Parts: sequence; C-alpha cells; structure tokens
Amino acid sequence: MAGAIIENMSTKKLVIVGVILLLFQAFSFMVGGLIAPSPTTAVHYLATKCVDTIKHRQESKWFMPWGPNQCDKIRSFDDAMAKRIEANNIVFAVHIPLPNKEMSSWFQFMLVILQFDIAFKMFNQIEDGAMVTIDVGLAYRDDTVSEWTEMAHSFEQRKLSCNFTTAKTLENEGRYYECDLLPFMEVGSVAHKYYLLNIRLPVNERKKINVGIGEIKDIRLVSIHQNGGFTKVWFAMKTFLTPSILIIMIWYWRRITMLTRPPVLLEKVIFALGISMTFINIPVEWFSIGFNWTWMLLFGDIRQGIFYSMLLSFWIIFCGEHLMDQTERNRFSVYWKQVGPIVFGSFCLFIFDMCERGVQLKNPFYSIWASDVGTELAMAFIIVAGICACLYFLFLCFMVFQVFRNISGKRTSLPAMSKARRLHYEGLIFRFKFLMLVTLACAALTVIFFIISQVNEGHWHWGEHTVQVNSAFFTGIYGMWNLYVFAIMFLYAPSHKRYGDEQSSGQCITGDAGANSGEDIQLTTTITHVDGPTEIYKMTGKEAQE
Amino acid sequence: MFAHWEAFYYIFILLTQMRSCCSWSVNNFLMTGPKAYLIYSSSVAAGAQSGIEECKYQFAWDRWNCPERGLQLSTHSSLRSANREAAFVHAISSAGVMYTLTRNCSLGDFDNCGCDDSRNGQRGGHGWLWGGCSDNVGFGEAISKQFVDALETGQDARAAMNLHNNEAGRKAVKGTMQRTCKCHGVSGSCTTQTCWLQLPEFREVGNYLKEKYHRALKVDLLRGAGNSAASRGAIAETFSSISRKELVHLEDSPDYCLENRTLGLPGMEGRECLKKGKNLTKWEKRSCKRLCGECGLAVEERKAEMVSSCNCKFHWCCAVKCEQCRKTVTKYFCVKKGGQRGRNESAASRRKNLRLRKKH
Repeated sequence: MAGAIIENMSTKKLVIVGVILLLFQAFSFMVGGLIAPSPTTAVHYLATKCVDTIKHRQESKWFMPWGPNQCDKIRSFDDAMAKRIEANNIVFAVHIPLPNKEMSSWFQFMLVILQFDIAFKMFNQIEDGAMVTIDVGLAYRDDTVSEWTEMAHSFEQRKLSCNFTTAKTLENEGRYYECDLLPFMEVGSVAHKYYLLNIRLPVNERKKINVGIGEIKDIRLVSIHQNGGFTKVWFAMKTFLTPSILIIMIWYWRRITMLTRPPVLLEKVIFALGISMTFINIPVEWFSIGFNWTWMLLFGDIRQGIFYSMLLSFWIIFCGEHLMDQTERNRFSVYWKQVGPIVFGSFCLFIFDMCERGVQLKNPFYSIWASDVGTELAMAFIIVAGICACLYFLFLCFMVFQVFRNISGKRTSLPAMSKARRLHYEGLIFRFKFLMLVTLACAALTVIFFIISQVNEGHWHWGEHTVQVNSAFFTGIYGMWNLYVFAIMFLYAPSHKRYGDEQSSGQCITGDAGANSGEDIQLTTTITHVDGPTEIYKMTGKEAQE
Repeated sequence: MFAHWEAFYYIFILLTQMRSCCSWSVNNFLMTGPKAYLIYSSSVAAGAQSGIEECKYQFAWDRWNCPERGLQLSTHSSLRSANREAAFVHAISSAGVMYTLTRNCSLGDFDNCGCDDSRNGQRGGHGWLWGGCSDNVGFGEAISKQFVDALETGQDARAAMNLHNNEAGRKAVKGTMQRTCKCHGVSGSCTTQTCWLQLPEFREVGNYLKEKYHRALKVDLLRGAGNSAASRGAIAETFSSISRKELVHLEDSPDYCLENRTLGLPGMEGRECLKKGKNLTKWEKRSCKRLCGECGLAVEERKAEMVSSCNCKFHWCCAVKCEQCRKTVTKYFCVKKGGQRGRNESAASRRKNLRLRKKH
C-alpha cells in the first residue's frame, strides 16, 4: 500500500485534518460531560416484610409493599416472634421503582444487587460456607390498577460471605456482619413500568435449607439502570457516527477498487476494521424502545467484542506489514500465531458471556458466580482470556520492537539507496511512526480517562456547571475510537496522485498547496510509479532485491 | 390528630431539651405545614428516639449517661445547658432523624423521596427519566434539617451552637457512609461501574460522634453576649470558622459526680459499673474507677441469680428453642464509702435535699 494519502499530504493539510479531528474529539467529550447525565443510577430499596396470612398458598398472590392493597406488614421480627409467624410466611416485597415513579424502556437494562443485614448473635452465628436459598418471583404491570403478571420465578442459591469486623462478644450482639454484595437479577430490557419482587427464605431443617444463616434482619436491594438522558445522548451519538463512518468506508473501498492491482492484506484489514466499527455504530438499540428485546445487552457485548478483536488484529497486521525484513507476508495465515490468541481469548469471553447473560435471558436471577462450579468455570474462562491478552501483548511488543530495530537498521543504509527505494522506506517509516504515535495517544487517553472515571466520584463541579466525568469518559472514548478508525481509513487510503500523476512520475510532487507554499515540508513523496502499481505492490510485499 | 401533635411535640421536648411548654410555639410546625408534618412525623419521632437510644448506649459507662430525666428537666430557657453533652444530644438526635428518614425512604414510605428537588433542572418524573433522582440521603438530610433546625428560633449563641451541632450530626451520617461499587461492563468487567453510598449501621454514627464528643471545641461566646446585631455577627463569624463536622459547646460540663437537683443530675451513687470480664474494652474496665473511685465512692459487689435462656437453637426468622439456665452474676455498684453507715448517710442526705427543695 504505497502512496497513501498521509504521505502525499502536506504538513499544513495534515495539521488541518488533525485539528478538525481534535475538535470533534473535544466535542464528543463535551457532549458526555455537559449534556448527558451520569450513565447509571443506583436506587436503594429496603424490602418490606409482609406476612402471608393465608395458610394454603394460592397461586399468583403478589404482595405489595405500599400503596393500595398493601400487605400486612411487620416492622421487625420481634413482632413475628410474638405473633408466632413462621419463616415460610414471611415475604419480602420490593416494588421497583419507588412510589410516584415509573420505569421506562429508555433505561435499557436493570440489574439488582442483594444485600443481607445479618445481626450477630453469640448463639446464632453464620456458619462457614453458609448458603441462602431464595424463593423469588418477579412480576410486572403497566398501570397502577391491573393485576400483576408473573415474569420469572426461581429458586436461587447464594453463598454468604460475611465477616464480623468487631470482636465476637456478647456486648456486640446485634451489630451487623459485613457481607459482600450478591448479584441478584439482571434484565436486558426495561419494557414495563412497574416491577414487583417477592422474596421468601423458606426454612427446612431436615433438608438443611436456610439453616445456619444467622439472624437476617433486613434485605436491602440496589437496582442499577442506565439513565434515560444518557441513553438518548448515546443513541444520538451513534446515529450521527454511523453515516460518517459508513461514508468514509465506501469512499475508502472505492479508492481501493479503482487501483489496477488487487487490494493488499493491510487494506483489507483496514476495511474490516471499518465494517466492525459500523457494526458497533448502527443504532439498533432504537428498537429496544419499542420492542421488548432482552437480548440487546448480550448483542451489545458481542458487537463490542468483535470490534475489539478486530482492532487488536489490525495492530498486529499493521506492524507485520511494516516489518521491512524482506519476507513475503501479505497473507492472513502468516499471522495466525499472533491473531490466534485474540480469537481464542475473545471466544472464551464469548462463552463466558453466553453462560452469564445468555442464561439470564431465560432466568433473570441466574448468576454464574452463585455456584462453586460456575465460579470455577467463569474464573477459568477469564484467566484463559487474560493469558491470551498477555500473549498478544507480548507478541505486539516484540513486533513493535522488531520494527524499530529494522527502522534504525534502515536509517543507516538509507543514503546509500536508490532514490525510489529510499523514498519507499521513508514512506514506510513515516506511516508506521505516525500510526504508532496516534495509537499510543489514543490508548493512553483511554487508560487515563478510565482511571479518572474510576477514582472520581463521578462528577466535577466546575463553577455553576456540573461535569459528568463518567459520561464524558464513555462518549469521549467512543468518539475517539470512531475518529481513530475514520482517520486511518482516510489517511491510509491510496492517494489519487498515484494514478493522476503517473505520467509525471519521477517528479517531486508536493501536495496541492505545496506549490505555492514553499515552507511545506514534504515528508515523503510517491515517485515510484515508473513501473506501475504492480511493481509497487511487489515492493510493499518486500520483494526486495537488496 | 391532636394526639399526634402531642406525641410529636413531646419527643421534641425530649430531644432538644429546651423550651418550656408555653414558650415553645406551634408555629414552627405550621410553617412546615401540617401535611408535611403528618407524613414525616412518625419517622422523625422514631429517628429522635433511636438517637437517644444510641446516646444511652454510647454513654452507658460514662458519668453522664444520657439521662432522659435530665433532658426533660432543664426546660427553662436560662437553664438550657450548652455543654459538651448537650452538643452530643443535639448531634445524635438530628443524625437519628436523618438516618431514619433515609431508611424509610428506601422502604417506599414517602411519595417524593429525593425526586421533587430540582437537581436536574426538571421536576418530578421527567428528572427521574433523564438523570435519576438524588440520593435518599439527600432527602433525609433536607427533611431532617427542615424539622430539627426549625426548633431553634433564637438568634443567640445557644441557638447557633445547637444549629451547628445538628449539622455536625447530619455530617456524621454522611461521613460514615460507605461507598460501594458494582462493575457491570462487557462480560461484567469494570469498564462500566456504578457506585453508591450506603448507610452504615447507626452504631457507626454513634461511635463517630462519640469521638467527636471527646474532641468537641469550646467557644467562649457567652460572656457579654447580648442580642445586638454586632454580637450576632460575631456569633455567625465564629461558628462559620469552625468545621461543620466538629461538635461545639459553650460551657464546661458540671461535676456529674454530685447530685444536683437544679440541673437534674442524679449523681453517681447507685450507678452500676463493670469491673472484671474477658471481653471488656479499656474504657469499660476502668468504669468502676471512673464512676465510683474518682467520685469518692466505694464499689460494692452484689451477687444476683439470673435466669436466662441458653443453648438456644435458632431458625430464621422467628423460631427459637431455648433452655432456661440459672447463673450467678456479679454486678458492681457505686456506694457511699463506709458500707452500711454510708447508706444511712445517703438516706439522710436525700432527706436533707428534700427539705432544701421544699424551702426553695
């Protein structure tokens, strides 16, 4: 791929393009920071303890914690003790959302976290490896008066991992254990307005169910959903970005097909990168507003996975094609060793995701982390994926190192080369260094922003304005990788000057503006078209005679 | 409805240990509106009560043990104490109110938790859809402020001190909250994570405020404090220079060793203390020395037989099978030095005191 636009462009134009891209970049950060609210909201719920007075349990009896038709409540279990209520008659009821609010499909997803408040009692401590068995039902309705419709019902087990931080003495009775958060529920679309959770903790001494779980005082839930405002901004951004990437992609491919030679591997990979970016951009999420598509969350994960593995493969292949070590590559099979870990790693993550979010399509209460086997399996997948990532980065670093070694080797021999050959190598070196710089900058920015958004409280106060750092992180980084792909497709597209100036080859061609501004430093030129594009193709294929 | 008013009113007398029945006007509540009052009253009352209970726990082995009687007695304005202990009571009560309101908010007890403020520029449901509502804690804080602070109508140093300590109590709730995060990005990674603040146990708030109590700052403003504009400015200036997390008091504490009927202090005689025990903290182990020895009283050992439940078998939630066990417990009490003679003396002094009061 000799004679890319980036080599033929004057510095001035390059700067202009750079500034425009930077402006868009700043804009994408600002959209998130100033317009969008924080990405997600966490809402606290404390379960109301209802009493199921009916001896023979009817089917589909739902307990409302408040409002009309609310259940018989008890404030604490001391009341229950006095009234001789059994554990199986206690129902923890949580209505999502809180009174006077309603859920909306703009919330995209909802995940709920469970926490137990377990009081320490000298003679009723939590046993080691205690499991809680939860009988949980989820129902929905779309107006405040109609009957509840069951959505899911399940028996779930969760492992209690609690520790008591203060001394286990009689004086400290009644203080709470510190328990880890338990994953409870995840739904991939919020299609209904009201949700109701009814949780029971059935006790069966013979079967050792819910025995030795300590004195559970309360059940707390935290529900997390995406903010509607953030969803709107995000959709708007996607809707705007899709055509821009699509257009540049078509333009790029047209340029490739206009060449007389078939496209080389690197060009194909760049095109594939564009396709995966478009795939992630296409705002199919709009459909989630109208339809109850719970698989959207999983689909989003898959799309992201495809893009990331494409990006990682692109870096490897780009490095490989700029190795300048006289070996013929230009075939995808050459890179199986480097791309293999990426494919394998993302496959592992895909399986893991299918096990977690895939199963959740059927049972929203499922969690792979709840069982021991599941936890080991999940850990295995994640560790394998991590090893693959490490392997990949070793390969990448080694390749980058090789390229730099070859560059410094070529540097010394550059003056001795023929002009055509020299310019060819200079072009390669420049292209590589440019991409290296941009990629490093993007990666660094991603990491820095990631750390900031993790460390920070989520928003900064800046005079009267509140800057949502987390939202700025999401829109900014998303915009950045879009611009990155955009810039690569634009700058690494074959230059039209090649065929336009075929006759006048040999001349030192500067950019359009180069003629009237002498200060433009032409970094490299494409003058090597004497033999036509096929010859260049050979040369890029490193079929050097040297 | 009047019964409600009465109960509410009573709990506030208890909590603010001020204002005689007549000087304290109902206007404060009329300002906040009877409707608002009805919604929140039970929560506020329960919150104040939990604050007082925590106070009793925290000061169980101190000379001043958060006596309700003491709180109720000093109703006359000039006798409103402005000492360290009063500062603590104000702080823990306002913290308790805030805590309970926040908790009940999560239960769904109130219709407008956190969402009718204009944090996002929009009111009501639209703000909820766009950017969620503010934390329940913010709601608890606002309502607690509205209710508890409304009781301070004065503009003197005492009122300023009480307001400051109320604020310190609320800050203590916020300060002890724990930040918890959950990762939920691609494949559950941390590319997306949501964090929230979680209410701690109320005991944590109590412990925190107890520490603040030990490091409470004394402000000398009582002398020559009139109600002139200049002194009011000085008061405001002094209090604004102190961190809002610190407790502030104006007077030194009285000697709690001695019985003081005018202040409603019962004295140390007859107080229980802890001496020997495996799992006692240093503070508890020294309680007999502190309560009895340093006040010139002797420690008396009393043995008592207690019936308690033991070998219990628990089932969640409400089934307990226990056996009854008898065991002898040794308890320690402060008594006048000299045993039996001391007791007579104490009875005599009590009579004397009675006589004095009659003369009064």
